[in-house]
Amino acid sequence: MAPFDRKQPQPPPSGGQSRISAARPEFRSATPPETPRSSGKMGVPAGSSSKMQVAGSGSSGASSSRDGGSLAGERSLVRVVCNAGSGALEYTHAFISAYAADHFRGAVAQRLSVGAYELLSNALNFGSVSSDIVLELLEADQLVGVRVSNEAIQARISMLTEHLLKLRNNAEQTFMEELRRSVTGGIPRPMLGLARVTHEVGLTLDFQVNDRRVSVTAQCRR
Amino acid sequence: MSQFTSVPVPKADAVAIQVMAPNQVKLSGTITQKDPSSDLAGFFKALHNAALADKLGEVRADVSGLTFVNSSAIRLFVDWATWVKNERGQRYTLRFITSRNVTWQKTSFMALMSLAKEVLAIEQVS
Repeated sequence: MAPFDRKQPQPPPSGGQSRISAARPEFRSATPPETPRSSGKMGVPAGSSSKMQVAGSGSSGASSSRDGGSLAGERSLVRVVCNAGSGALEYTHAFISAYAADHFRGAVAQRLSVGAYELLSNALNFGSVSSDIVLELLEADQLVGVRVSNEAIQARISMLTEHLLKLRNNAEQTFMEELRRSVTGGIPRPMLGLARVTHEVGLTLDFQVNDRRVSVTAQCRR
Repeated sequence: MSQFTSVPVPKADAVAIQVMAPNQVKLSGTITQKDPSSDLAGFFKALHNAALADKLGEVRADVSGLTFVNSSAIRLFVDWATWVKNERGQRYTLRFITSRNVTWQKTSFMALMSLAKEVLAIEQVS
């Protein structure tokens, strides 16, 4: 398991709740940003909630996301429940990939396949063993996505938040950095997965934390 | 006798591997196992060493049929490129044959190219 981020999380500006929105201008968000923060770390203390969006590289605008990363009018096509540390990754990925290939055009199915694998892999590796991991394949009028939610410890949530901020600032550069770190190693260990999701296959990430429950949605136009 | 074509091919789940004379290896399927290095790292290293022993000018790695690989598998390709790049003296060009129809390959191999462009070549097929 990768070492945790030892930096102390910082409290949200006020009221125990904060929000980051990085949606591109053409994206339509059904709820206005409440407390946008432009840079730096964002800690998420227990009992609070937080949201962030990371637009995928080359994305032509992938979001009519509603509050919490849910797609407007979304419908859950597939829902898989599993546990951290289980061997669910490979067979779940195989099923989701096959299902997506049967329901969506090829390029979209390939993108969702990468998103499903990497999000589920993170959840299985770093999620709490005491609660369920839920993977959903979603569709809405114009969007499709995959959402994985799990509980995690505070240090892991802070580390994920920091990584997503890096991706939001420059997905390509982060992808290259993680690829280089694959060669040199380093601590924490290379985190190529989410960089692949945003840069390699251009999915937009929505990230939400409620208390210790982390929910990440990777989405694109269908 | 070619050492390259004598490299034993590992049995790996969901990925088919062929080594063809004089200098080609072809992988197709998917690589999703959590730690593919147990099957593939040694195999790639053996191909690398055999290519040097055979004094090959180029090795063709046809990955166009790999429809999905996980991050750990991408690291294996990065490792292979790094071995070639770090080789002193005689070395070969590692040419990846990729598919323009497979989304993950476009970005990953372009990125890999930028890390080791002096020893890599990328060829796209449909």
